Amino acid sequence: MTLRERLERVTWVFRTRAALGVRPLAAPVMIFIPLGVLLGPQAAAVLSPTALAHLDIVISIALATLGVVVGIAAGREAGAAMRLFIASTVEACVTMIVVAGAVGILLQTWQVPVAMPVLLVSLALGICAAASAAYSVDVGDPHARQVAARVADLDDVAPILLGGMVLAIAGSGPAREVGEATWLTIGLGLSLGVTGWLLVEGAAGGAERGVFVLGSLALLGGATAYLGLSPLLAGLAAGILWVVAPGRCDVIVARELRKVQHPLIVLLLVIAGASLEPTTAGIWLLAPYVIFRCAGKIVGGWTAARMAPAVAPSDLGAYLIPPGVIGIAFALNVAQVAPDAATSLVFAVSAGAIASEALAIVVAPARQAA
Amino acid sequence: MRRIAALTLTVGVTWLVVTRLPADAVQRPAALALGFTLIAAALAGALLERIHLPRVTGYLLFGMLCGPYLANIITRPMARDLQLINGLAVVLIAFIAGLEMNIRRLRPRLRAMMQLGGITMLVLYVALFSVFWAAWPYLGIAQEVSSVQRVALAALLTTVIASFSPTVTIALIAESRARGPLSELTLAVVVLADLLLILVFTLMMQFVRFAFGGGVRDVGLFIGLSWEIFGSFAFGAAIGAVFAFYLRSIGRELPIALLTLCAVTAGLGEILHLEPLLAALAAGLVVENIAPPKGDMLKDAAERGALPVLVVFFAAAGASLQLDALALIGWVAVGISLLRAGLIWVATRLGARYAQVGPPADRLVWMGLISQAGVTLGLVLIVAGEFPDWGGRMQTLIVALIAIHQIAGPVMFKAALVQAREVGRLDEGRSPLEEGEWSALHAD
Repeated sequence: MTLRERLERVTWVFRTRAALGVRPLAAPVMIFIPLGVLLGPQAAAVLSPTALAHLDIVISIALATLGVVVGIAAGREAGAAMRLFIASTVEACVTMIVVAGAVGILLQTWQVPVAMPVLLVSLALGICAAASAAYSVDVGDPHARQVAARVADLDDVAPILLGGMVLAIAGSGPAREVGEATWLTIGLGLSLGVTGWLLVEGAAGGAERGVFVLGSLALLGGATAYLGLSPLLAGLAAGILWVVAPGRCDVIVARELRKVQHPLIVLLLVIAGASLEPTTAGIWLLAPYVIFRCAGKIVGGWTAARMAPAVAPSDLGAYLIPPGVIGIAFALNVAQVAPDAATSLVFAVSAGAIASEALAIVVAPARQAA
Repeated sequence: MRRIAALTLTVGVTWLVVTRLPADAVQRPAALALGFTLIAAALAGALLERIHLPRVTGYLLFGMLCGPYLANIITRPMARDLQLINGLAVVLIAFIAGLEMNIRRLRPRLRAMMQLGGITMLVLYVALFSVFWAAWPYLGIAQEVSSVQRVALAALLTTVIASFSPTVTIALIAESRARGPLSELTLAVVVLADLLLILVFTLMMQFVRFAFGGGVRDVGLFIGLSWEIFGSFAFGAAIGAVFAFYLRSIGRELPIALLTLCAVTAGLGEILHLEPLLAALAAGLVVENIAPPKGDMLKDAAERGALPVLVVFFAAAGASLQLDALALIGWVAVGISLLRAGLIWVATRLGARYAQVGPPADRLVWMGLISQAGVTLGLVLIVAGEFPDWGGRMQTLIVALIAIHQIAGPVMFKAALVQAREVGRLDEGRSPLEEGEWSALHAD
C-alpha cells in the first residue's frame, strides 16, 4: 500500500468517525485517561495521593463489575457459539504468548531494571495486551465488525483466568500457592454469586434490587481485594454462575449493571490517568508494548480465523486493535497488590492504551465493496 | 427463606474472609465493608420492617451487632472507611427533604410551624438549663467550677442535648414515603432547631471560653455565623439553580448528575466552611419551588439512590456507636434521656396549643424529636477537642445519650407516622414506575 493510499485511509477513517461527532478521540481511554493525568498529583493535584487512596474502593468494585460483565457475556456466548468462544480464546492466548515472549526476551537482552521479576512483568503485559474492544464506529465490513465485537467480549476470559494466577504470584502478602489462590478466588466468586442469585431473584422492587446488585459487586470486589486476589476472576465466576443459575438473574444483573457500568469505567480510567507516573522502565516498555500488542493481535486474529473460517473474518486481528479497559483494569489490580512495583506496568499499559487507540485508526480494516 | 440463606452466606463468607483467611499485606477493607453492609444491613432492615419497626433501626442494630464493640465482623478500620460516605449521605438526604418541601403547599401552615418550633426550643432550653444548673454537681462532668463557669457549662450542655437529628427525621420520612401535617411539622421544627443550634452553639462556646479565661474570638464571629447560615443557603440555591438548568436542558444520566451535585455540595461546603445540610436543603428547595422538573424522574432517581446511601449511613452509625460509653454511665444517660423526652413532650404540647396545631400532629410531634445523631456528636467533638479535660467527660455522656436516642428515636417517630396515618401517602396520585417498585421503601 502506497503512502498516499494509507493517508487516504486515515483521512477516510477520520471523516467517517467525524461524521458521528468527535469519535476518533471519543474512545473513553482517549478522554478520561488524559483527564485523570490533568486532575492527578502530577498536574493539578485535584486528585491527591490521599484522594486516590480513598478511590481504591472504586477500583475493586469496577474490577468485579468488569469481571461480571465478561462472565455474563462468556456464559451466554460459550453455550450458544462454542466455536467462536474457542477462536476468541486462541486469539487471546496467541496475543499473550507473542507479547509476553517478545517483552521477556527484550527485558533479558537489554537488562532494563524493572521492580518486578522479568517473568511477571512479561506475563502481566501479555495479559493486559490480550484484552480488546471492537470498533464502536462504522469501520470495515458490518458483519465482520459484529463478529469482532463478540470476539472482543469473549477474548477477555483467558486473560482474566491467567491474571488470577499472576496476581497470586505478584502479591506481597502471605505466601500462597498459585493453585490455592486461584481456587479460593473462584470459590469466593461462586459463593458470593449464589448469595447474589438468592437476593436478586427474591428482591421486592427496583430500589432493593439495585442495593443487592451493588452490594454483590462490592462484596465480590472487596473480599478478593482484602485477600490480595483478583476481583476480575471472582466477578467472572459469579457472572457465569448467574447465567447458568435458574431464573432471570443474569438478565436482571445485566440491566442493573448498565446503570453503574458507565460511571465506574469513567472513574477507573480517571484513576488510571491520575496514577500515571513516568518511570524509566515504564517509558522503555511503552513502545515495545504497543508494537508487540498490535503484532500479537494480528497474528492472533489470523490464527483464530484459520481455526474457524466460517465464523471469524480473515482480518479479525485488525478489528481488535482498540484495547478497551480490561487491560488497564488488570494493571491497576496488579498495582493494588504490589503498589510500588507496578508503577511501570500501569504507565506502559495506560499510555499504551491511548497509543493503541491512535494506532487503530491507522490499521483500521478496509470497508468491503458492496 | 431465600433471604435468610443469603444473609447466612453473606455473614459466613465475610466472617471467614475477615477472621480466618490470611489478608493481603496492604489491607483494603473499604469495598468489603461496603458490600457486606449493603447486603446484610438491607436484609436486617427488611426483617425489622416485618415486625413494624423502621428499616433505619434495622440498619443501626445491624451495624451495632456486627460492629467493633460486639461481633467485630465490621472491624474498626472498616467502620472508619464506611464513614467516608457520611458527607455524601447527609447532602443527599437533605436534598431529598428540600425536594419534598413545596412552599405553596406549606404556606398556610408556615406560621404555625414557626410558632411551634420557636416555643418548643425556648421551653426546652430554659427547662434543661435550669435542671442542669441545679443538678450540676451530680453530673460528674466538672465539679469544682466557679458560678460563672457552672452557668456556662450548663448552658453549653443544654445546647448540645437540646439538638435534634435532621438526618434521621428526613431519612424516616423518605423511608416511610410519608406525607402529611406531622411529617411537615416535624421536618420544619428540626430544620429550625438546626439553624438555631448553629447560632446558639457558637455563642455558648464563646461564653465558655470567656468563663474559663480563654481568649474570646469575637472578631468576625457574626460574620462567620452569617456566612455559615446565609452563605449555605446562597451556595445551595446556586447549586440548585445550576442543577435545575441541567435538568431542563440535558436531563440525562440523572444518577451521575445527582451524585456529582452531592459530591460538589459536600466537598465545596467543607472547603468554604458552609453547612452542607442547609446548602443541600436550599438546593432541593430551589429545584422544587423555582424550577421543578417535569414528572417524577428526579424524585425517583433521588429516592432510588437514597436507599443504598441510607443503608450504609445508618449501619456505619450503628457500627460506630460507642457502647462502652453507655456501659460506663448508662443510668445517668437514661435519666437525662427520660428528662429530655418528657420536656420535649411538654414543650411541644405548649407550642401546639399556642400555634393552634390540630390533632393528631399536636400530640405526636414530640415523638419525631427524640433522635440525635451526627450533628450532636459533631458538636461534642468540637467541645472535647478544645477542652479535653471536662470536655472528654461531657463527650462520654453525650455519646451514651446518642446511643439511646439513635435506637429509640426512629422507632418512636415511625410509630407516630403510623398513628397519624401518613405512611405511604407520598405515593398517592403518583404514577407507579414498576410493579412493586416502591415496596422496598414502604413502611407497611
